[in-house]
Amino acid sequence: MERSERVRMIRDSVGAIAPPGAGLQRVRALRLDTMGIDRDVWRKIVDLGWLSLRLDEDRGGLGLGVTELCAIAEELGGALVLEPVLAVAAMVPLLADDIRTAVLEGSLIVVPAWRDTVGSAWGSSPLRMSGGTISGQKILVPSVTAADAFVLTTTDGAVLVERGASGLSIELAKTQDGGHSGTLELRDTPCAHLAGDVSAALHELSLAHSAYLLGASERAFQITLDYLGVRKQFGRFIGSFQVLAHRAAEAKIQLALSRAVLDEAVAAVAQNAPPVDQVRTAARAIARVSDTAMLIARESIQMHGAIGITDEHDIGLYCRKILSIYNQFGSAGANRARYLATLAPKDGQ
Amino acid sequence: MIDERTALTAAPVDYNALRDDEFRAEIRAWFEASYPAELRYPIERLHRADTKIWYDRLAAKGWLAPRWPVEQGGMGLDASKHIVFIEELERHGCARFNDQGVLMLGPLLMTYGTPEQQAFFLPKILTGEHIWAQGYSEPNSGSDLASLRTEAVLDGDEWVINGQKIWTTLGNDANWIYVLVRTDKEAKKQQGISFLLVPMDAPGITVRPILTLGMSDEFCEIFFDDVRAPKDALVGQLNHGWTMAKALLGFERIFVGSPAQSAYAMSRLETMAHHLDLFSDSEFVSRWGKLVIDLADHVSLYGTFIERLRRGEPIGADVSMLKINQTELYKRVAQVLVDYADGYSGHDGLVGPLGDVQAAAIWLQSLQTTIYGGTSEIQRDILAKQVLNLPG
Repeated sequence: MERSERVRMIRDSVGAIAPPGAGLQRVRALRLDTMGIDRDVWRKIVDLGWLSLRLDEDRGGLGLGVTELCAIAEELGGALVLEPVLAVAAMVPLLADDIRTAVLEGSLIVVPAWRDTVGSAWGSSPLRMSGGTISGQKILVPSVTAADAFVLTTTDGAVLVERGASGLSIELAKTQDGGHSGTLELRDTPCAHLAGDVSAALHELSLAHSAYLLGASERAFQITLDYLGVRKQFGRFIGSFQVLAHRAAEAKIQLALSRAVLDEAVAAVAQNAPPVDQVRTAARAIARVSDTAMLIARESIQMHGAIGITDEHDIGLYCRKILSIYNQFGSAGANRARYLATLAPKDGQ
Repeated sequence: MIDERTALTAAPVDYNALRDDEFRAEIRAWFEASYPAELRYPIERLHRADTKIWYDRLAAKGWLAPRWPVEQGGMGLDASKHIVFIEELERHGCARFNDQGVLMLGPLLMTYGTPEQQAFFLPKILTGEHIWAQGYSEPNSGSDLASLRTEAVLDGDEWVINGQKIWTTLGNDANWIYVLVRTDKEAKKQQGISFLLVPMDAPGITVRPILTLGMSDEFCEIFFDDVRAPKDALVGQLNHGWTMAKALLGFERIFVGSPAQSAYAMSRLETMAHHLDLFSDSEFVSRWGKLVIDLADHVSLYGTFIERLRRGEPIGADVSMLKINQTELYKRVAQVLVDYADGYSGHDGLVGPLGDVQAAAIWLQSLQTTIYGGTSEIQRDILAKQVLNLPG
């Protein structure tokens, strides 16, 4: 099968949990759910095989690439799907056989915990495994209420910590998109070392996350364009007012920039480019997509006018989602710094 | 305007005769002693249930209506003292109460109301017996307010009102509403509008609160279904409501032009910056420094308008500059706040890791400010047409 055909099929498969035009009632309802996950939908996700998307075929996975992961991510973002499909799918190839089997059967959810500090883009972790246990802290763990176990980054690769492990305490915080973020405090908590390249998995996840954010931004922009074409004031469609038309055009430019650089970053991974090139394009992509998402969030509310600041209009759900996740892999500023750090210093400077 | 008669009597106090610093010290001390500490610096508008205690304390002190004349139960402050009064309210973070009666309806009745309307309504605003809402915007008449379609038809001695109002601030707290209604469908759109006073318990009125992105129900939709009001519910002349209402909108714009909102957001940004040690980050310092200077410059611009008010000059269409500049500055401050909140940008409530700063709530609230009270786009239109006289 051609790659483009596979990407189209994988995009279409998202219709199984978020059919086109189905509305966002499910997303609204989940805001009141403390688990932040819909078990029936999770079952469908398991049955569709998405969680094994990045697992090799000889280990029973779909064996698809980062391009397909990002294609699915964009569709999930457009539909504001809250379930941690991308995070789990990115972790699956790292897991030991028994854990992986449980995840792929749908009886276990494993998400990554990779942030140690505020302010810098993610990188190496100061946490260290010693004598089969680990102590320290992980912050900003998304989908924390739904998780049964966590993949923690450490100085020497990743470790798996189960939710019920001794010495683990979790502090929850509610987020504007209806989800929960958590801080993990670990004191001599038993853990198991994981083989496999966790930083490569997180690198892919950062791109998939950007694709999700771009998908949400694209959909919010489309909803806004539709509104500009139906809302009338002063006897005219408001989209015919030049100031709004030009700002919509500007937003389109930013979306096009975002897509171009994200595609480049995804291609760098797919083509196995040198690590420094992968980091460089990814940092640019994360920064550009984050800034664009925020621009779209502000402009889509402003162009909707008063109806845009109500909870009942769906545009607000996109705005809350963007606000909640646009810094998940570091702020735009932190990623620009990450980009600059990859450039070799110039002679004599 | 100093009322010389009040200066001659022992009580009530002639505040205008005090030096500004004396007056400031007196009201500051009283605000600090009397304003409920738990209500300082709210991000959203507070409801009557929360602010009634403050309304009642101000009313008992005789300070509820600073600009009303003393003989009407106000403080009789001149423009200059009123500015000090507002500055001190803002400095202490005092919430706005249900102030449509004091700020909008009272002054309008004093100018256009009959003696009977003044005698009936003004005292009830001061006691809090009547809490007013403003019924202007409609679902299809927001920016284009003059196209409003809620209509009132005279049937014998009564008006019959049908239609719908929306974005009525604190409409669910009010027991009276003043509404703009169409009373002449043939006239040019601005010329067929009248101003009516209607009790909210009149049969046929339905109130539906609207939740904002901050999950606050500070706005309502109000439906009028064959609502009857007596003939004397009309204020001023028939079909002259637009001109009357418009004269009061300028004052609202100077309110949102006050630097207080941006200054508060800056103080939260600085609290967070200390907590996260951001002042050692040169990129942050550069973005913060730009905001510090933008805010100082806005204070200068605001000062020129305040000086005009102090001299008793009317505020013209150029007040739109204040509204645009302040609200857009507030949005920029809020944006830097969430950008540096990192992954905590979307966390609800007081966020411990950010030094208890409510970054998400401030950012979401900031989105409203360039929409309510006339969008930034409408304000720029006003500047272009009425100040710059560009072809329309």
